Amino acid sequence: MLAFDPSSVFLSNLLLAQEEAEAATGGLDIVTLLNQALNGVGIVGILLLTGLGLAITFGVMRIINLAHGEFIMLGAYVTFVFQDAFGMDLLMTIPFAFLVTAIIGAVVELTIIRRLYGNPLETLLATWGLSIVLQGVVKLIFTAQLKYVKAPPYLSGNLPLLSDDSGGALISISYYRMFIIVVALALLGVTMYLFYKTSWGRQIRAVTQNRDMAKCLGVNTKLVDMGTFAYGCGLAGVAGAVISALKTVAPPMGQDYLVDAWMVVVTGGVDKLIGVLAGSLLIGEANAVIAFILNDPTARVIVLAAVIVLIRYRPEGLFTIQKRS
Amino acid sequence: MAKPHVSDTNLNRRKFIQYGSLAVGSSIVAACTGGGSGPSESTDLGEDPIKVGVMYSTTGTIAIVEKSLQDATFLAIEQINTGTGPWEANGAGIAGKKIEKVVVNPDSNWDLYNQMSKRLIDEDQVVCVLGCYTSASRKSVLPVFEEKDAILYYPVYYEGNECSSNVFYTGAAPNQQITDSIPYCYENFGPKGFFIGSDYIYPKESNRIAKAELEKAGGTVVGDEYAALGTTEFITIINKIKAAKPDFVLSNLVGDSIPAFYRQFKDAGITSDDIPIMAYPTTEEEIQAMGPEYSTGHFTSFNYFQTVDTPENKAFVEQFQAMFGKGRVTNGVMEAAYLQTFFMAQAMKQVLEEGGELTPGNIREATRGQEFDAPQGKVKIDPDNYHTYLYSRIGKWKEDGQAEIVFATDAAVKPIAWSQTLYKGRVCEHTTPDDRSDPTKETGKDLEPVFL
Repeated sequence: MLAFDPSSVFLSNLLLAQEEAEAATGGLDIVTLLNQALNGVGIVGILLLTGLGLAITFGVMRIINLAHGEFIMLGAYVTFVFQDAFGMDLLMTIPFAFLVTAIIGAVVELTIIRRLYGNPLETLLATWGLSIVLQGVVKLIFTAQLKYVKAPPYLSGNLPLLSDDSGGALISISYYRMFIIVVALALLGVTMYLFYKTSWGRQIRAVTQNRDMAKCLGVNTKLVDMGTFAYGCGLAGVAGAVISALKTVAPPMGQDYLVDAWMVVVTGGVDKLIGVLAGSLLIGEANAVIAFILNDPTARVIVLAAVIVLIRYRPEGLFTIQKRS
Repeated sequence: MAKPHVSDTNLNRRKFIQYGSLAVGSSIVAACTGGGSGPSESTDLGEDPIKVGVMYSTTGTIAIVEKSLQDATFLAIEQINTGTGPWEANGAGIAGKKIEKVVVNPDSNWDLYNQMSKRLIDEDQVVCVLGCYTSASRKSVLPVFEEKDAILYYPVYYEGNECSSNVFYTGAAPNQQITDSIPYCYENFGPKGFFIGSDYIYPKESNRIAKAELEKAGGTVVGDEYAALGTTEFITIINKIKAAKPDFVLSNLVGDSIPAFYRQFKDAGITSDDIPIMAYPTTEEEIQAMGPEYSTGHFTSFNYFQTVDTPENKAFVEQFQAMFGKGRVTNGVMEAAYLQTFFMAQAMKQVLEEGGELTPGNIREATRGQEFDAPQGKVKIDPDNYHTYLYSRIGKWKEDGQAEIVFATDAAVKPIAWSQTLYKGRVCEHTTPDDRSDPTKETGKDLEPVFL
């Protein structure tokens, strides 16, 4: 599978490097550092998952969607509700999380976003307001208490990649983190297939490149807009469902992912979907390594500053296609 | 916004819909920000009620905790107004007067705490204020209460090193939470401690005291890491913990970071047998949110646990769940918010029965030395430093999300406002009656623990 190649290559490289390094220093430090690089992959998985929906609503549709984090939150709450009411396994709730958030996304597009195309400032304000309303509504229904989502028992535990003589794991990655990475890469693959290989994808690209011409050629642009926005929101919902068992489920949880998702999309470049992968790899690993050498808050400052510098010199992000304007 | 193709008649309808939906949206927001989601209260407050400010955020990042403090406060006020629960012997109200709560929501914004406390004191003319959770919010309102000479009851365990004539601290001082837990860790887990916390005043100060305590006991600090408030990604810190191989982790993470940390800690393959976590802010409420399977075998040091075996606690848990739902748990901060409301009511009762006016000065003098049979046991406001005699307990979390109490003092411990490890011999003694002069005194001596 295309989706798996990069990480497995990365892992085997790591192992090789680790063996060499251990021969050289025999130290514990390099093991920790490699563990950290692997941890970075775990962060990358979450960034990719949370950024993917935004790559569609902002990257493809150019909607400044400040309510993206709230759609992640809604996905997490859908998982909570289905688990609480029907005792469903977390994995089984994922399609529901996608459906419910996609439907809410479609309603939002129909009632709010549709009226604001071409007005980025109003869109920004409207989606910001929407994020406050969504948080408030969730708080009214579910109260402000943190909610408990059960992780599937078969995803607990660790995959040891390297063990010491006594059998203790030196380098390991948890099954749940691997699961997140697999879901994220699979979703990226599916999305890329939809966008580049299906007629719906062609229509979306046609509409974003030249709306009037697409309309003239008989594309139902309103339907395409609604479908695309709903799909982006649905992806955010899946992200919420998947991370709910590893993070904290509460009304303000979306805010935590909003900034990261924006950084990923802007860094990677908004034109190509694969930019999300590049953006999350870069930001995730940079965060992991800097946070390890210094500390978490400092790492955030440095990475944010680096992103600002980057968009100063490459406003279109890392992956751009030359366009005639 | 109107597109060219929209006709005039359409425009009006559309405008109507736009404004209409705006109105619906804003009314939803208004409903969220008001105290509207609280339980039904007795509407008849009778003649000339006593106005009391209740200042907890019910929106924003800290709402998760502060909402439950508000709930506990509401329960206490309801019991005082109706003469039930611990207030049964006193009849309904305080010497015949009911409490009228003036509820404000500072939206987890430290500046708003400052503005809202001014509003409560100047415009609403409340007699005193119950509220605040984070040290940041307390520091934000402290100048207001000191300048206007008003009284704040503050229900939270905190880093200490503060003493004000205008604040009654009913949560733990450092010597009631840190002083016993660090030697416990040292003896039961080992000498190497790794310290983590959220990145603001309380966790940093609290860890500073805890680190000094550990070094005094002969242990070593092998790590000291902080994460921004609200962070839910702990993979890096956990990796550093793995690398440092400590005997225990001391956690001062707060709020929504807590469940994420415990989950990822277990997910990274570290069990409570390998490295136990000793925490201060992790309570029943956070355990319920993370799932008890992640906390089993870890520890929390607090004055109160839901499993404390007293008749008062049994009643408290029952009454709280009757008011707010069977699924709810109680925890130490909520208990402090609950008991301080009774300290306040007892003080007011004393003032009114002596024929006095409810002025800040009278309430302050009356609150000093008040005793109350709280859920955690018998507690008392220290007349010298305005902190509270509280029990010191350590709980080990069980599979059902409740704590097995593995350490407890026999009686409430006298609070010491200043950390004695950092400031040896420094105490806080307000004059009687309090003339609001600087209460800090240097004795230069080791203080012996005093029990109630």
